[in-house]
Amino acid sequence: MNKASDNNLMVQVRDGNVEKLAVLFERYHVMLYNFFLRLTGNRGISEDLVQDVFVRVLKYRASYQGQNKFTIWLYRIARNAHIDFLRKRKDEVSLGEQWDEAPSHEPSPPEKVEQAQEIARLNLALAQLPLKKREIIILSRFQNLKYKEIAELMGCHIGTVKAMIHRSIKDLGKAYFELSGGIAS
Amino acid sequence: MKCKQIKGKFSDYLIGEIDEFAQKEIQEHVTACDSCREELESLSAIWTKLGVLPEEQPSHNVRARFYTTLEEYKQKMQQEKTRPKLGILLDGWFERMMPRRPAFQFSLALILLVVGLTAGYFLHAGLQGGGEIDQLRQEVRQVRQITAVSLLRQESLREQLKNAGLSSQVELPDDETLADFLRSVNSDTTPDSRLAILDALFPQSPKIRQELARSLSEKTSPVVEIALAFSQQITKF
Repeated sequence: MNKASDNNLMVQVRDGNVEKLAVLFERYHVMLYNFFLRLTGNRGISEDLVQDVFVRVLKYRASYQGQNKFTIWLYRIARNAHIDFLRKRKDEVSLGEQWDEAPSHEPSPPEKVEQAQEIARLNLALAQLPLKKREIIILSRFQNLKYKEIAELMGCHIGTVKAMIHRSIKDLGKAYFELSGGIAS
Repeated sequence: MKCKQIKGKFSDYLIGEIDEFAQKEIQEHVTACDSCREELESLSAIWTKLGVLPEEQPSHNVRARFYTTLEEYKQKMQQEKTRPKLGILLDGWFERMMPRRPAFQFSLALILLVVGLTAGYFLHAGLQGGGEIDQLRQEVRQVRQITAVSLLRQESLREQLKNAGLSSQVELPDDETLADFLRSVNSDTTPDSRLAILDALFPQSPKIRQELARSLSEKTSPVVEIALAFSQQITKF
Protein backbone atom coordinates (compact mmCIF):
# COMPACT_ATOMS: atom_id res chain seq x y z
CA MET A 1 0.00 0.00 0.00
CA ASN A 2 3.01 2.27 -0.14
CA LYS A 3 3.16 5.21 -2.49
CA ALA A 4 6.00 3.75 -4.53
CA SER A 5 3.85 0.82 -5.54
CA ASP A 6 0.89 3.12 -6.35
CA ASN A 7 3.20 5.12 -8.50
CA ASN A 8 4.62 2.02 -10.11
CA LEU A 9 1.16 0.71 -10.93
CA MET A 10 0.06 4.01 -12.40
CA VAL A 11 3.20 4.22 -14.52
CA GLN A 12 2.31 0.79 -15.91
CA VAL A 13 -1.25 2.00 -16.61
CA ARG A 14 0.18 5.04 -18.34
CA ASP A 15 2.41 2.86 -20.49
CA GLY A 16 -0.48 0.74 -21.72
CA ASN A 17 -0.92 -1.96 -19.09
CA VAL A 18 -4.38 -0.66 -18.16
CA GLU A 19 -5.23 -3.93 -16.41
CA LYS A 20 -3.24 -2.62 -13.42
CA LEU A 21 -5.82 0.09 -12.83
CA ALA A 22 -7.99 -2.60 -11.24
CA VAL A 23 -5.52 -2.79 -8.33
CA LEU A 24 -5.63 0.96 -7.83
CA PHE A 25 -9.42 0.89 -8.06
CA GLU A 26 -9.61 -1.72 -5.28
CA ARG A 27 -7.33 0.40 -3.12
CA TYR A 28 -8.99 3.74 -3.55
CA HIS A 29 -12.58 3.52 -4.67
CA VAL A 30 -14.01 3.37 -1.11
CA MET A 31 -11.85 6.32 -0.04
CA LEU A 32 -13.07 8.32 -3.05
CA TYR A 33 -16.67 7.29 -2.45
CA ASN A 34 -16.52 8.63 1.12
CA PHE A 35 -14.82 11.82 -0.06
CA PHE A 36 -17.68 12.46 -2.49
CA LEU A 37 -20.35 11.32 -0.05
CA ARG A 38 -19.22 13.89 2.52
CA LEU A 39 -19.03 16.56 -0.15
CA THR A 40 -22.36 15.87 -1.82
CA GLY A 41 -24.37 13.99 0.79
CA ASN A 42 -25.79 11.77 -1.93
CA ARG A 43 -24.89 8.12 -2.44
CA GLY A 44 -25.97 7.83 -6.06
CA ILE A 45 -24.09 10.97 -7.10
CA SER A 46 -21.02 9.81 -5.17
CA GLU A 47 -21.01 6.48 -6.99
CA ASP A 48 -21.32 8.24 -10.34
CA LEU A 49 -18.43 10.51 -9.42
CA VAL A 50 -16.22 7.57 -8.44
CA GLN A 51 -16.92 6.06 -11.85
CA ASP A 52 -16.17 9.40 -13.49
CA VAL A 53 -12.79 9.62 -11.71
CA PHE A 54 -11.62 6.24 -13.01
CA VAL A 55 -12.84 7.02 -16.51
CA ARG A 56 -10.78 10.23 -16.34
CA VAL A 57 -7.76 8.30 -15.06
CA LEU A 58 -7.94 6.17 -18.21
CA LYS A 59 -8.52 9.19 -20.41
CA TYR A 60 -5.63 11.22 -18.98
CA ARG A 61 -3.27 8.34 -18.12
CA ALA A 62 -0.69 9.63 -20.62
CA SER A 63 -0.37 12.86 -18.61
CA TYR A 64 0.72 11.05 -15.43
CA GLN A 65 4.23 12.20 -14.57
CA GLY A 66 4.88 10.03 -11.57
CA GLN A 67 6.78 12.81 -9.79
CA ASN A 68 4.21 13.40 -7.06
CA LYS A 69 2.27 11.10 -4.84
CA PHE A 70 -0.34 9.15 -6.79
CA THR A 71 -3.16 10.00 -4.34
CA ILE A 72 -2.60 13.73 -4.86
CA TRP A 73 -3.01 13.24 -8.60
CA LEU A 74 -6.12 11.14 -7.95
CA TYR A 75 -7.63 13.76 -5.62
CA ARG A 76 -6.94 16.44 -8.19
CA ILE A 77 -8.97 14.48 -10.73
CA ALA A 78 -11.64 13.88 -8.09
CA ARG A 79 -11.91 17.58 -7.27
CA ASN A 80 -12.19 18.46 -10.96
CA ALA A 81 -14.89 15.82 -11.43
CA HIS A 82 -16.81 17.32 -8.51
CA ILE A 83 -16.41 20.88 -9.82
CA ASP A 84 -17.68 19.79 -13.26
CA PHE A 85 -20.60 18.06 -11.60
CA LEU A 86 -21.49 21.26 -9.73
CA ARG A 87 -21.22 23.28 -12.94
CA LYS A 88 -23.62 20.94 -14.66
CA ARG A 89 -26.03 21.27 -11.78
CA LYS A 90 -25.65 25.09 -12.06
CA ASP A 91 -25.45 25.65 -8.34
CA GLU A 92 -24.43 23.63 -5.40
CA VAL A 93 -27.16 21.44 -4.00
CA SER A 94 -27.80 22.15 -0.37
CA LEU A 95 -26.67 19.09 1.47
CA GLY A 96 -28.88 19.99 4.39
CA GLU A 97 -31.88 19.28 2.19
CA GLN A 98 -30.62 16.21 0.50
CA TRP A 99 -28.49 14.17 2.87
CA ASP A 100 -29.88 10.71 2.30
CA GLU A 101 -29.77 8.53 5.35
CA ALA A 102 -28.74 4.88 5.24
CA PRO A 103 -31.87 2.71 5.09
CA SER A 104 -32.69 0.89 8.30
CA HIS A 105 -35.41 -1.72 8.66
CA GLU A 106 -34.96 -2.77 12.26
CA PRO A 107 -36.11 -0.93 15.35
CA SER A 108 -33.05 0.67 16.92
CA PRO A 109 -32.07 0.76 20.57
CA PRO A 110 -32.04 4.27 22.16
CA GLU A 111 -28.23 4.63 22.07
CA LYS A 112 -28.26 3.83 18.37
CA VAL A 113 -30.94 6.42 17.78
CA GLU A 114 -28.87 8.96 19.66
CA GLN A 115 -25.79 8.12 17.63
CA ALA A 116 -27.77 8.38 14.40
CA GLN A 117 -28.99 11.83 15.47
CA GLU A 118 -25.44 12.87 16.26
CA ILE A 119 -24.29 11.72 12.83
CA ALA A 120 -27.16 13.56 11.17
CA ARG A 121 -26.32 16.77 13.04
CA LEU A 122 -22.66 16.55 12.09
CA ASN A 123 -23.54 15.96 8.45
CA LEU A 124 -25.92 18.92 8.49
CA ALA A 125 -23.30 21.12 10.17
CA LEU A 126 -20.76 20.09 7.53
CA ALA A 127 -23.29 20.79 4.81
CA GLN A 128 -23.77 24.32 6.07
CA LEU A 129 -20.11 25.18 5.50
CA PRO A 130 -19.01 26.69 2.20
CA LEU A 131 -17.54 24.13 -0.20
CA LYS A 132 -13.90 25.04 0.39
CA LYS A 133 -14.14 24.83 4.18
CA ARG A 134 -16.06 21.56 3.98
CA GLU A 135 -13.51 20.18 1.56
CA ILE A 136 -10.52 21.11 3.73
CA ILE A 137 -12.06 19.46 6.80
CA ILE A 138 -12.82 16.30 4.81
CA LEU A 139 -9.31 16.15 3.40
CA SER A 140 -7.58 16.73 6.72
CA ARG A 141 -9.90 14.80 9.05
CA PHE A 142 -11.18 11.90 6.95
CA GLN A 143 -8.79 11.49 4.07
CA ASN A 144 -5.77 12.01 6.35
CA LEU A 145 -3.89 14.29 3.99
CA LYS A 146 -0.96 16.23 5.41
CA TYR A 147 -0.69 20.03 5.26
CA LYS A 148 1.85 19.79 2.47
CA GLU A 149 -0.39 17.53 0.41
CA ILE A 150 -3.46 19.72 0.88
CA ALA A 151 -1.42 22.79 -0.03
CA GLU A 152 -0.17 21.06 -3.18
CA LEU A 153 -3.67 19.94 -4.09
CA MET A 154 -5.25 23.34 -3.55
CA GLY A 155 -2.35 25.30 -4.96
CA CYS A 156 -1.68 27.42 -1.86
CA HIS A 157 0.85 27.81 0.95
CA ILE A 158 0.97 25.59 4.01
CA GLY A 159 0.31 28.64 6.20
CA THR A 160 -2.93 29.28 4.32
CA VAL A 161 -4.00 25.67 4.78
CA LYS A 162 -3.36 25.85 8.53
CA ALA A 163 -5.36 29.06 8.88
CA MET A 164 -8.19 27.63 6.76
CA ILE A 165 -8.38 24.46 8.82
CA HIS A 166 -8.53 26.49 12.03
CA ARG A 167 -11.32 28.72 10.71
CA SER A 168 -13.25 25.80 9.20
CA ILE A 169 -13.25 23.79 12.44
CA LYS A 170 -14.35 26.88 14.35
CA ASP A 171 -17.24 27.46 11.91
CA LEU A 172 -18.19 23.80 12.01
CA GLY A 173 -18.30 23.95 15.80
CA LYS A 174 -20.60 26.99 15.65
CA ALA A 175 -22.93 25.33 13.14
CA TYR A 176 -23.05 22.14 15.21
CA PHE A 177 -23.73 24.13 18.38
CA GLU A 178 -26.66 25.91 16.73
CA LEU A 179 -28.09 22.65 15.40
CA SER A 180 -27.90 21.16 18.88
CA GLY A 181 -30.19 23.93 20.08
CA GLY A 182 -27.34 25.90 21.61
CA ILE A 183 -26.46 23.10 24.00
CA ALA A 184 -22.74 22.46 24.12
CA SER A 185 -21.87 18.82 24.53
CA MET B 1 0.87 38.32 21.16
CA LYS B 2 1.55 34.99 22.83
CA CYS B 3 -2.14 34.00 22.49
CA LYS B 4 -2.12 34.72 18.75
CA GLN B 5 1.02 32.66 18.33
CA ILE B 6 -0.41 29.76 20.32
CA LYS B 7 -3.76 29.84 18.48
CA GLY B 8 -1.87 29.62 15.21
CA LYS B 9 -0.70 26.18 16.29
CA PHE B 10 -4.12 24.82 17.26
CA SER B 11 -4.72 23.12 13.94
CA ASP B 12 -1.27 21.47 14.17
CA TYR B 13 -2.26 20.24 17.62
CA LEU B 14 -5.55 18.75 16.41
CA ILE B 15 -4.14 17.12 13.31
CA GLY B 16 -1.06 15.88 15.12
CA GLU B 17 1.48 17.51 12.84
CA ILE B 18 3.34 19.00 15.79
CA ASP B 19 6.60 18.37 17.58
CA GLU B 20 6.86 17.60 21.28
CA PHE B 21 8.18 21.03 22.22
CA ALA B 22 5.30 22.93 20.56
CA GLN B 23 2.77 20.55 22.07
CA LYS B 24 4.18 21.21 25.56
CA GLU B 25 4.19 24.95 24.89
CA ILE B 26 0.46 24.88 24.00
CA GLN B 27 -0.43 22.80 27.02
CA GLU B 28 1.43 25.14 29.37
CA HIS B 29 -0.19 28.20 27.82
CA VAL B 30 -3.77 26.93 27.93
CA THR B 31 -3.34 25.99 31.58
CA ALA B 32 -2.74 29.65 32.34
CA CYS B 33 -4.97 31.31 29.68
CA ASP B 34 -8.76 30.76 30.00
CA SER B 35 -9.64 32.21 26.60
CA CYS B 36 -7.19 29.96 24.69
CA ARG B 37 -8.18 26.93 26.76
CA GLU B 38 -11.87 27.43 25.92
CA GLU B 39 -11.15 27.77 22.24
CA LEU B 40 -8.91 24.71 22.13
CA GLU B 41 -11.50 22.65 24.03
CA SER B 42 -14.23 23.72 21.68
CA LEU B 43 -12.14 22.89 18.58
CA SER B 44 -11.01 19.56 20.03
CA ALA B 45 -14.60 18.62 20.87
CA ILE B 46 -15.92 19.03 17.34
CA TRP B 47 -12.76 17.50 15.84
CA THR B 48 -13.24 14.41 18.01
CA LYS B 49 -16.96 14.26 17.28
CA LEU B 50 -16.25 14.00 13.55
CA GLY B 51 -14.78 10.60 14.36
CA VAL B 52 -18.31 9.19 14.81
CA LEU B 53 -19.02 9.64 11.12
CA PRO B 54 -18.62 6.12 9.78
CA GLU B 55 -16.82 5.12 6.62
CA GLU B 56 -19.50 3.87 4.24
CA GLN B 57 -19.28 1.24 1.55
CA PRO B 58 -20.52 1.93 -1.98
CA SER B 59 -22.94 -0.48 -3.64
CA HIS B 60 -21.71 -3.34 -5.82
CA ASN B 61 -22.73 -1.35 -8.88
CA VAL B 62 -19.58 0.77 -8.56
CA ARG B 63 -17.30 -2.23 -8.97
CA ALA B 64 -19.41 -3.72 -11.78
CA ARG B 65 -19.44 -0.44 -13.70
CA PHE B 66 -15.71 0.03 -13.29
CA TYR B 67 -14.82 -3.43 -14.62
CA THR B 68 -17.20 -3.03 -17.55
CA THR B 69 -15.58 0.30 -18.44
CA LEU B 70 -12.10 -1.19 -18.09
CA GLU B 71 -13.01 -4.12 -20.31
CA GLU B 72 -14.46 -1.82 -22.99
CA TYR B 73 -11.37 0.34 -22.84
CA LYS B 74 -9.07 -2.66 -23.28
CA GLN B 75 -11.08 -3.85 -26.28
CA LYS B 76 -10.88 -0.40 -27.84
CA MET B 77 -7.11 -0.38 -27.33
CA GLN B 78 -6.87 -3.83 -28.90
CA GLN B 79 -8.90 -2.71 -31.93
CA GLU B 80 -6.68 0.32 -32.39
CA LYS B 81 -3.61 -1.90 -32.28
CA THR B 82 -4.96 -4.29 -34.93
CA ARG B 83 -6.38 -1.59 -37.19
CA PRO B 84 -3.55 -0.14 -39.29
CA LYS B 85 -3.45 3.62 -39.18
CA LEU B 86 -3.77 5.76 -42.30
CA GLY B 87 -0.24 7.14 -41.90
CA ILE B 88 1.25 3.65 -41.75
CA LEU B 89 -0.80 2.60 -44.80
CA LEU B 90 0.40 5.59 -46.81
CA ASP B 91 4.00 4.99 -45.73
CA GLY B 92 3.80 1.41 -46.98
CA TRP B 93 2.22 2.48 -50.26
CA PHE B 94 4.87 5.12 -50.93
CA GLU B 95 7.60 2.67 -50.03
CA ARG B 96 6.31 0.20 -52.60
CA MET B 97 5.89 2.87 -55.27
CA MET B 98 9.31 4.46 -54.78
CA PRO B 99 11.99 3.22 -57.20
CA ARG B 100 15.01 1.61 -55.55
CA ARG B 101 17.80 3.25 -57.58
CA PRO B 102 18.69 6.86 -56.71
CA ALA B 103 18.84 7.87 -60.40
CA PHE B 104 15.22 6.73 -60.89
CA GLN B 105 14.21 8.42 -57.64
CA PHE B 106 15.74 11.68 -58.90
CA SER B 107 13.98 11.32 -62.28
CA LEU B 108 10.66 10.66 -60.59
CA ALA B 109 11.09 13.72 -58.41
CA LEU B 110 11.92 15.83 -61.49
CA ILE B 111 8.87 14.54 -63.38
CA LEU B 112 6.62 15.27 -60.43
CA LEU B 113 8.07 18.78 -60.19
CA VAL B 114 7.43 19.47 -63.89
CA VAL B 115 3.90 18.05 -63.66
CA GLY B 116 3.25 20.23 -60.63
CA LEU B 117 4.57 23.40 -62.27
CA THR B 118 2.59 22.77 -65.48
CA ALA B 119 -0.60 22.08 -63.58
CA GLY B 120 -0.03 25.21 -61.51
CA TYR B 121 0.55 27.32 -64.63
CA PHE B 122 -2.64 26.14 -66.36
CA LEU B 123 -4.65 26.47 -63.19
CA HIS B 124 -3.43 30.04 -62.73
CA ALA B 125 -4.16 30.91 -66.36
CA GLY B 126 -7.62 29.41 -66.06
CA LEU B 127 -8.33 31.55 -63.04
CA GLN B 128 -7.07 34.72 -64.70
CA GLY B 129 -9.23 34.16 -67.80
CA GLY B 130 -12.24 33.49 -65.67
CA GLY B 131 -15.28 34.82 -67.50
CA GLU B 132 -17.08 35.75 -64.32
CA ILE B 133 -14.41 38.21 -63.18
CA ASP B 134 -14.33 39.88 -66.63
CA GLN B 135 -18.09 40.14 -66.63
CA LEU B 136 -18.03 41.73 -63.16
CA ARG B 137 -15.38 44.24 -64.22
CA GLN B 138 -17.48 45.16 -67.26
CA GLU B 139 -20.56 45.65 -65.10
CA VAL B 140 -18.68 47.90 -62.63
CA ARG B 141 -17.41 50.02 -65.56
CA GLN B 142 -20.94 50.38 -66.96
CA VAL B 143 -22.36 51.35 -63.56
CA ARG B 144 -19.71 54.08 -63.17
CA GLN B 145 -20.48 55.46 -66.62
CA ILE B 146 -24.24 55.47 -66.07
CA THR B 147 -23.83 57.23 -62.72
CA ALA B 148 -21.44 59.81 -64.19
CA VAL B 149 -23.80 60.58 -67.08
CA SER B 150 -26.84 60.88 -64.87
CA LEU B 151 -24.98 63.26 -62.57
CA LEU B 152 -23.85 65.36 -65.53
CA ARG B 153 -27.48 65.86 -66.41
CA GLN B 154 -28.14 67.30 -62.96
CA GLU B 155 -29.09 70.94 -62.86
CA SER B 156 -27.15 71.99 -59.79
CA LEU B 157 -23.54 73.03 -59.82
CA ARG B 158 -22.87 71.04 -56.66
CA GLU B 159 -23.95 67.74 -58.31
CA GLN B 160 -21.88 68.49 -61.38
CA LEU B 161 -18.78 69.20 -59.30
CA LYS B 162 -19.33 65.93 -57.47
CA ASN B 163 -19.52 64.26 -60.86
CA ALA B 164 -16.08 65.57 -61.76
CA GLY B 165 -14.53 63.24 -59.18
CA LEU B 166 -16.71 60.34 -60.26
CA SER B 167 -16.20 60.76 -63.98
CA SER B 168 -12.44 60.67 -63.50
CA GLN B 169 -12.94 57.02 -62.42
CA VAL B 170 -14.36 56.16 -65.85
CA GLU B 171 -11.21 54.86 -67.42
CA LEU B 172 -12.28 54.75 -71.08
CA PRO B 173 -15.70 56.32 -71.52
CA ASP B 174 -17.78 54.98 -74.40
CA ASP B 175 -19.05 57.28 -77.17
CA GLU B 176 -22.33 58.11 -75.50
CA THR B 177 -20.66 59.01 -72.17
CA LEU B 178 -18.02 61.05 -73.96
CA ALA B 179 -20.69 62.95 -75.89
CA ASP B 180 -22.39 63.80 -72.59
CA PHE B 181 -19.13 65.03 -71.08
CA LEU B 182 -18.33 67.24 -74.07
CA ARG B 183 -21.86 68.59 -74.21
CA SER B 184 -21.39 69.68 -70.59
CA VAL B 185 -18.09 71.38 -71.37
CA ASN B 186 -19.59 73.16 -74.36
CA SER B 187 -22.97 74.16 -73.03
CA ASP B 188 -22.72 74.55 -69.27
CA THR B 189 -23.56 77.99 -68.04
CA THR B 190 -21.11 78.13 -65.13
CA PRO B 191 -17.36 78.22 -65.81
CA ASP B 192 -16.61 76.42 -62.47
CA SER B 193 -18.49 73.25 -63.35
CA ARG B 194 -17.09 73.26 -66.91
CA LEU B 195 -13.58 73.50 -65.49
CA ALA B 196 -14.26 70.58 -63.14
CA ILE B 197 -15.54 68.42 -66.04
CA LEU B 198 -12.58 69.41 -68.16
CA ASP B 199 -10.28 68.37 -65.33
CA ALA B 200 -12.03 64.97 -65.17
CA LEU B 201 -11.75 64.38 -68.97
CA PHE B 202 -8.19 65.53 -69.26
CA PRO B 203 -6.24 63.86 -70.99
CA GLN B 204 -7.61 60.41 -71.68
CA SER B 205 -7.38 59.59 -75.36
CA PRO B 206 -6.54 61.19 -78.76
CA LYS B 207 -10.22 61.21 -79.55
CA ILE B 208 -10.99 63.23 -76.42
CA ARG B 209 -8.19 65.67 -77.24
CA GLN B 210 -9.60 66.18 -80.75
CA GLU B 211 -13.08 66.86 -79.40
CA LEU B 212 -11.68 69.29 -76.84
CA ALA B 213 -9.76 71.17 -79.59
CA ARG B 214 -12.97 71.51 -81.60
CA SER B 215 -14.87 72.86 -78.61
CA LEU B 216 -12.12 75.43 -77.99
CA SER B 217 -13.39 77.52 -80.87
CA GLU B 218 -16.93 77.61 -79.36
CA LYS B 219 -15.93 78.84 -75.89
CA THR B 220 -17.24 82.07 -74.51
CA SER B 221 -15.60 81.93 -71.08
CA PRO B 222 -11.93 83.02 -71.17
CA VAL B 223 -11.06 80.87 -68.13
CA VAL B 224 -12.39 77.70 -69.78
CA GLU B 225 -10.61 78.59 -73.02
CA ILE B 226 -7.28 78.97 -71.19
CA ALA B 227 -7.80 75.66 -69.41
CA LEU B 228 -8.64 73.92 -72.71
CA ALA B 229 -5.59 75.40 -74.39
CA PHE B 230 -3.44 74.42 -71.48
CA SER B 231 -4.73 70.82 -71.56
CA GLN B 232 -3.95 70.64 -75.30
CA GLN B 233 -0.48 71.98 -74.65
CA ILE B 234 0.25 69.51 -71.86
CA THR B 235 -0.82 66.46 -73.89
CA LYS B 236 1.72 67.34 -76.58
CA PHE B 237 4.54 66.50 -74.13
